[in-house]
Amino acid sequence: MAQAPTVLHFSGHQYLRHRLVLSILSGKPVRIDKIRTDDKNPGLRDYEVSLLRLLERATNGTIIEISVTGTAILLKPGIIAGGSITHECPLSRSMGYFLEPVIMLAPFAKKPLQLTLRGITTDDHDLSVDIIRTVTLPHLQLFGLSDGLELRIKKRGSAPLGGGEVQFLCPIVKQVKTLNFVDPGKVKRIRGISHAVRVNPQFSNRMIEAARSVLNRYIPDIYLYSDVYKGEESGKSPGYALTLLAESTTGAMHCAEAISKPGVAPEDIALTAARALLSEIKKGGVVDRQHQSLVLMMMVLGSEDVGRCRMGEPTARTIQLLRDIKECFGTAFKITSAEPNDPESAELVLSCYGIGNVNANRSLA
Amino acid sequence: ARAAFEDSSRSRKRRDWVKLIYNSVVSPDEILGQMRASEPPSQGPSMDDDDFFTVASSAPAKTEEELDQTKEPVNLDDLKAWEDEELLDSIRSLFITGSSSQ
Repeated sequence: MAQAPTVLHFSGHQYLRHRLVLSILSGKPVRIDKIRTDDKNPGLRDYEVSLLRLLERATNGTIIEISVTGTAILLKPGIIAGGSITHECPLSRSMGYFLEPVIMLAPFAKKPLQLTLRGITTDDHDLSVDIIRTVTLPHLQLFGLSDGLELRIKKRGSAPLGGGEVQFLCPIVKQVKTLNFVDPGKVKRIRGISHAVRVNPQFSNRMIEAARSVLNRYIPDIYLYSDVYKGEESGKSPGYALTLLAESTTGAMHCAEAISKPGVAPEDIALTAARALLSEIKKGGVVDRQHQSLVLMMMVLGSEDVGRCRMGEPTARTIQLLRDIKECFGTAFKITSAEPNDPESAELVLSCYGIGNVNANRSLA
Repeated sequence: ARAAFEDSSRSRKRRDWVKLIYNSVVSPDEILGQMRASEPPSQGPSMDDDDFFTVASSAPAKTEEELDQTKEPVNLDDLKAWEDEELLDSIRSLFITGSSSQ
């Protein structure tokens, strides 16, 4: 960026990840202050420092300054380098925490990214590796990324001790495609992955059975895969989870997941997942709620054309991202009701004019 | 249960999202109407308080901090609504097996 970059300024520890991503993508330095200033234990957490380290390693020339108390950071972004990286995730957060921002950056790297992450593969806070593999990556395909996009789950690792390992491969693009996706279609099939590690493998089948009891009434095309990892591949702690996804005739996807809790039967976990999926489907839109941020980010970066996308009600994260995008790129979305004639509908159509971001880092082979 | 679901969606209909998002300083959570009811109204310094030192921040000492997380916490009570047959049938039109008349 040749012109004197203006420093983006944000406060608080919330939404740290997408703010760092915005900074790196736009090439504008970012200052984030008041990070847990009122907390008993002020400043950055270990996982946030770990994320900064990962971003530093994935880029070239990034300068990160952390204040003495850890309550303020300044990041001067370099170029996104990509290449082969291995990162140990701290056990305080799952891999999803680290993968989500990386997925937004990786397509714009200089070289295709091969990232190996070790740690916890599934937890309650961030997208699990199963969701990322089966739902997030297909969302990226909407923007023209497909060849070589892959997430391999080599080992699973449940909280608290982790021990999982995944490999994320992401190709690079010159420019992402403009999205025009407003037809939600109808749900045509439901897929699921039920996994159990270091517990009775039968738990996995019990979850599948229970989920079917709710979902079978709608469509016959339900395939729930029981994914059992054994021995070394199953990590260090016991755990199980059910990931469900619904796909519509137009390719719109919704997902839900529930994770084992102490003292809760596998059947109840499965019912939670199945019902969460139904409420997700009811909320409508063509993209999953947890993926609104990713889709909006890619829409802004699209070619200089109007992209449109239908969504259910925005989440709090989405609202903040929309504000931060305006702050960073100056792009405001147009938000209209998807069904102007139906006052009951809460679905929205978000449209924006892409900034025409071209991957200047890309090495020409 | 279905009525409750519809109530919540009706109260949210026709909101001017552009205005709410870009022209206000309301926090995202407040926009979504998830105001924390547990937060006590902040009161001014009371007179009978002789303490010289006062706590500078009004931030309640939260035991559980709000994480920067993508998954939304699952509300099991909300999901209970799905035990209701009527609600289960209400979304049938969203599946290919449902009638297209709706």
